[in-house]
Amino acid sequence: MLQPLSTLPREARDTLFLLAVIAWIIAPLVGELPVWCSAMAALLLLWRGVIALRSAPLPSRWWLMGLLLLAIAATLYTHRTLMGRDAGVTFIVVLLALKTLEMRARRDAFVIFFLGFFTLLSNFFFSQSLLTAASMLVGLLGLLTALVNSHMPVGRPPLLQAAKTAGWMALLGAPIMAVLFVLFPRLAPLWGVPSDAMSGRSGLSANMQVGTIAKLALDSSIAMRIRFDGAAPEQRNMYFRGPVLSTFDGREWRPLYMGFPPLVQTATDLQVQGPPVKYQVTLEANNRPWLLVLDATPERPDLKGYTPTMTPDLQWVVERPMADLVRYRAESYPVFRHGPLREASALTLVDYLRLPFGFNPRTAQLALEMRRDPRLARADTSTLVNAVMERLRTGGYQYTLEPGVYGSHTADEFWFDRKEGFCEHIASSFVLLMRALNVPARVVTGYQGGELNGVDGFWTVRQSDAHAWAEVWVAGQGWVRVDPTSAVAPGRTGSLQRLESPSSAFTQALVTVSPAFALNLRALWEATNNRWNQWVLNYSQAKQLDMLRNLGFESPSWEDLSYVLIAIVVLASLVGAAWALWERHRQDPWLRLYHRATLRLQNAGLALPPNTPPRQMAALLKARSPATDAGLSSVHDWLLRLEAWRYAAHGKDKPPALGLLQREFRQLSWPKRLAPLASARPK
Amino acid sequence: MQATHAQPNPLLHPVAHVRSRFQTWWQSRLPLRDSTTLTQRNVYILPTGPGWMLALTLGVLLVSSINYQLNLGYVLTFLLTGSAMVGMHVCHGTLRGLTMNLVAPDAQFAGASATININIVSERRSVRHGIGLAVLGSGHWSWTDVPALGSTKVQIAFQPERRGLHPVPALTAETRFPLGTFRVWTIWRPAAKVLVYPAPEAHPPPLPPGEPRAGGAASVQRQSTGEFDGVRAYRRGDPLKLVVWKKAAKADELVSRDAQQVQRFELWLDLAHTGAGLSNALEPKLSRLCAWVLLAEKQGLMYGLRLGGQEIAPGSGEAHKRACLQALAVH
Repeated sequence: MLQPLSTLPREARDTLFLLAVIAWIIAPLVGELPVWCSAMAALLLLWRGVIALRSAPLPSRWWLMGLLLLAIAATLYTHRTLMGRDAGVTFIVVLLALKTLEMRARRDAFVIFFLGFFTLLSNFFFSQSLLTAASMLVGLLGLLTALVNSHMPVGRPPLLQAAKTAGWMALLGAPIMAVLFVLFPRLAPLWGVPSDAMSGRSGLSANMQVGTIAKLALDSSIAMRIRFDGAAPEQRNMYFRGPVLSTFDGREWRPLYMGFPPLVQTATDLQVQGPPVKYQVTLEANNRPWLLVLDATPERPDLKGYTPTMTPDLQWVVERPMADLVRYRAESYPVFRHGPLREASALTLVDYLRLPFGFNPRTAQLALEMRRDPRLARADTSTLVNAVMERLRTGGYQYTLEPGVYGSHTADEFWFDRKEGFCEHIASSFVLLMRALNVPARVVTGYQGGELNGVDGFWTVRQSDAHAWAEVWVAGQGWVRVDPTSAVAPGRTGSLQRLESPSSAFTQALVTVSPAFALNLRALWEATNNRWNQWVLNYSQAKQLDMLRNLGFESPSWEDLSYVLIAIVVLASLVGAAWALWERHRQDPWLRLYHRATLRLQNAGLALPPNTPPRQMAALLKARSPATDAGLSSVHDWLLRLEAWRYAAHGKDKPPALGLLQREFRQLSWPKRLAPLASARPK
Repeated sequence: MQATHAQPNPLLHPVAHVRSRFQTWWQSRLPLRDSTTLTQRNVYILPTGPGWMLALTLGVLLVSSINYQLNLGYVLTFLLTGSAMVGMHVCHGTLRGLTMNLVAPDAQFAGASATININIVSERRSVRHGIGLAVLGSGHWSWTDVPALGSTKVQIAFQPERRGLHPVPALTAETRFPLGTFRVWTIWRPAAKVLVYPAPEAHPPPLPPGEPRAGGAASVQRQSTGEFDGVRAYRRGDPLKLVVWKKAAKADELVSRDAQQVQRFELWLDLAHTGAGLSNALEPKLSRLCAWVLLAEKQGLMYGLRLGGQEIAPGSGEAHKRACLQALAVH
């Protein structure tokens, strides 16, 4: 590919390079764009490439107008609007691809570059990972290279030269970037952001349809990171509480109190014992209005910019979805008791016994049969739980990622037909059976477990750690956690064994060859990613103000940030001015040496016209001096070498180092007084 | 010379008028030099249209980053800002420190396209890219790169309008390298003068008849038989039509007819006798004389020039031709 590239005419080469850069920038967006948009962009770029290769004429404006109208119509059809983020991204990508077909004037090229910068930014709407950043840095350098190249009008300069200039500019611009990034005040959004801004991020959802968590289990991306102040609790006790789901309609589990303001709701009746576990959570952006904390957290987690409140079922929610990575501190008590203790005070427990009508008849039958069993007829709740758990343990039930598609009677299918499922199948079926046994029960979703990253000491919780478990109400104890999955697959919660999703051939090979190395590699990669999150993505106004506090500001505000920024700008300008002043007086070292030599010879009485080259100075000196004078002939040679250093064709023999010439200048025996001019003899 | 634009009407175009007056005043302040070294004092910089567009783009990127709370968006915006600022510096540095030497221009004919030769010297250890030179206001750019620690020669096209001895027009050098967001330029008024001959008439009438040679020398000579009198070795400057090509084909050296023997009349080109078909204006007459001088020289004739009181004795050859043309230029 490189060989034909170097033989192409310059215009074709430049166009192909620019097209490649544009393709590089658009490529990561393909997953987010409508299919027609990706296809259209790809075809347009290909078309433009063929035109460049064949030096064919560009299509007429009518073509472009037609395509533009088509794109507008398609965007409207897909997004129902031209405003907002997703429609905007779609439209910009199409415009960028279309504009490549209209590169007539220099102005057109500039429009492409500026659209390219927008496209770069739009990549960050969907991912701000280290990988995206690196890929977009390449894209930016590519765009800058093309821009620099388009300002080299002479000949056919190699692209590498333009790339070097672009790289240098970016490198020298990096300190400016760092200063601005650190000090530019992080403002709140200037106006309302369209609601589609935060979509496209996965994680736990507010509802649970059987099968959704299994999807998450395939996603090994990181949900959050935790740093414990002291020792971490045992892995199997790490239950990070998410939405609590109590209403089941036959298909979907929903929270009970959705939509009620916290004040109306009943008290939580939370009592904690023992020492708390203190920790800090870095929660990846999940676009959900809840925090994930360990059971149970009575105190409000310390989260800037939000006011978390606790729901009666111990979940901490915030007032709006968290569109960005957030960090908060929390204190949790592993030993706790919550919920009404006596049935009399728990009228609301009725809600936890409801079963949808017409679903799972065989499960109801199973409950009836169990109640007929004399041992269980009058049994208390914990006996019933143990009986069901025993059934799960011994009934040949399987824990699997691929249980197949369940029909409408999910619990029936789990208990009798398939006998295999993921945690959500198990938890859902368990809760339904408990309710059929007249035991108040509910489903709790969240994350269970985690993994210690040995490199930086953070605990990593992944989407694949998403879990669903159950809580049953026990008289005198309140709500008690029961994890039916542990009965089916003890490894799931105990030794944190996970079902491996099919991974790529390379990863498999790596794991086969050296499991330890693969694990280390992954740990290192995630530690780096964590750093990235902590320092770049999570750099907020709070951090900015912390930094100012460290710099000695009493109570910093964002105005202070501006002052510091302005001070740095002023300082940089002063340094620049001083440098300019210095440069004006600075001389090329060769010229300085040359001037010193000129002065010596002039003082000795040699008349030198201005700007006499050293070669001519040597000739003049020779004409004036007796050939026998060794000192003068060495000066003569030195002058010739001074000339050679500057003007001789480099390559054949390397010119002497300038430092050597400077040293010799001091050692030479310069003439004090030259003999009178030889040519001044009378004619 | 063509730098004297028609001044815009102050009432119709007040802004253009003020700008034009300012530019004239500014240029008249510049010293006249045949060699100029560009420093911070004489290199100017302003953002271009695309530069303002980039500023707007950066603004939109920043607002997007704020509204969508994208920290990487900030990184992108600021990196681009930093690169553009470095680009501004690089752009200024492309011209700063250059030395431009004017090679004394040759005499030109009015109206013909001529060139000014300029030697650009760079003392920097890196290549300077994309430097354009032009006569100020002409818009005909010659683009060049200046190698590291080296020099390059640039030819600038220009079209002298009027004959005479004029200063070389003001020149300008410009660069937009590397990003095109800034325009860095300088204006240079060379001290050298350029001699502009009159434009030769396109289709001049035949040369006027000669005048009998004064003195007895002419009568001694025989009447012409239409044959040449002798040959001699080729001398530099002999017109090609005098070369005896047949002999040249046989021998290795060129041989010319001895033309001086042929001409028995003195050819005088006189401003007062430029023939019919011309009005009384001076310039057309000078144009015709110019054309005749070139014609006579081409034919290898001896010719003299009379311009009012000024008289150049008959002669021929390059030096003679130049003397005649110069006389025509400054008349």
